[in-house]
Amino acid sequence: MKNSSAIAREFMARGKCEACPVVDMHGHYGAYRVMYFPRPYAEGMLATMDRCGVSCIVCSSHTGLVDAGRGNAEMARVIEEHPGRFLGYRVVNPNYPEQAAEEVGRFSREAGFVGFKFHPDGHTYPITGERYVPALEYAAEHKLLVLTHTWGDSQYDNPTMFGEVAAKHPGVTLLMGHSAYGKWDDALAVARDHDNVYLELTAAYEIGGIIERMVREVGSRKIVFGTDLPWFDPHYGIGAICFSRITDEDRHDILHRNAERLLEPFVAGGRRAR
Amino acid sequence: MEWFDCHAGFGVPVKSPGGVIASAQELVEELDFCGVAEGLVYHASVVEQGPEVGNQRVVEETEGEPRLHATWAMLPAQTGELGTMEQFLAGMREHGVRALRAYPEQHRYLLNGVTFGPLLEELTGRRIPLLVGPDWKGITSLLAEFPELTLIVVRHGSWGDDRYFRPLLERYRNLHVDTSNYQIDHGIEDVVRKYGPERLLYGSGSPELQMGAALLTTAQADIDDDAKAAIAGGNLRRLLAEVKL
Repeated sequence: MKNSSAIAREFMARGKCEACPVVDMHGHYGAYRVMYFPRPYAEGMLATMDRCGVSCIVCSSHTGLVDAGRGNAEMARVIEEHPGRFLGYRVVNPNYPEQAAEEVGRFSREAGFVGFKFHPDGHTYPITGERYVPALEYAAEHKLLVLTHTWGDSQYDNPTMFGEVAAKHPGVTLLMGHSAYGKWDDALAVARDHDNVYLELTAAYEIGGIIERMVREVGSRKIVFGTDLPWFDPHYGIGAICFSRITDEDRHDILHRNAERLLEPFVAGGRRAR
Repeated sequence: MEWFDCHAGFGVPVKSPGGVIASAQELVEELDFCGVAEGLVYHASVVEQGPEVGNQRVVEETEGEPRLHATWAMLPAQTGELGTMEQFLAGMREHGVRALRAYPEQHRYLLNGVTFGPLLEELTGRRIPLLVGPDWKGITSLLAEFPELTLIVVRHGSWGDDRYFRPLLERYRNLHVDTSNYQIDHGIEDVVRKYGPERLLYGSGSPELQMGAALLTTAQADIDDDAKAAIAGGNLRRLLAEVKL
């Protein structure tokens, strides 16, 4: 092959790259109704992570999407059992505001959580809605991350709505899950215009040429890698990045450096990614 | 490993969110960049304008590129746009077209025996592969009518379609699926373990999908080398060798 990237060549040869570990900023955990997962639990996920050179993954439990309290507790157990490999987002379900407030109140860095996970489409509640505000204000006060599902044509979490939230809460670091798949012009404009917004690549990486465009128009320092694991084989997204016409410096930024910078405040106490 | 991409295209589309592979030469350059030896290809105009134009362009524009193998798309013979069935098959013979594609949604027809009975009988008898997208209800009906048809379903996923296609893999021995958008973690390994490596074909889905994505997934699948070589290109070469034009 004519791709001269040292990172691409090592991934093709070995499945992982010693000099370029991968940090996955968008994971899940457990079974979920929408599809068959061959390996949805910790043992299988860790086998995949080891095979692909993924040092650490930040997850929200699938259970948490339908039952936040139970799912967040499950995620805490997984993090505890696999220190350094799993970190977590606490799921906030805005349809039950009292429970959502409890989940915000239970947030603990010490338990390996780094912020909150919103899924406006799944919960059919707009990302701009008032019920997300307590979590956003808490995240701003405590300098936490918020990963939110976004989709281009959604009525709950399209990039325009995401941009409104980013503008109202400049103190919150917002990860635009799936980079608002499909409405690329708007998504890239939001990421470019707001310092607190990062493009997150799960599923978006599949689109031919989109990574080059993101790097060109937004810059590789504002893009983080994710896979929805146990949904998607990390090699799929890594392959897309390896064979995009970008530099190895860009690949380092996307695959691990940006994530390491974002996670640094949360892993300094001993939970550092392996 | 001799990679043979079963699902790649070139030509300038009406709109592209990212990259464009404008010409056959650019596609060859992309194959070289990724280390892929050959491609079973279509021209973008076949989808967006139609087979009358696209079938001709893919043949003309891949001439002199022996690593690119042209595919044609079909239309109902009743409207006569591509001539009679006999003329269509003669054209395939003349130009060495060894596989067909069908776009029932984009070209507005029903892919079934009522519409295509004689042609589908010919494809079955001549073992000409037919590549289609993942309309699983339509595919289930089609295979019930033509159980021996060599069918390759491309770009299924990215949400796992396993609950749709695994029952069909069990029942129809000539059904295959590509890997272009089969992103599910441990999916390739699981399918190979249950159904063998013969039913999977490497495809990139390029330029709509990033060519390297399925490439690395397939290259690093946790399966033995023989199985990997079959998926990478061996299966497609075998299928095309079986074609009796």
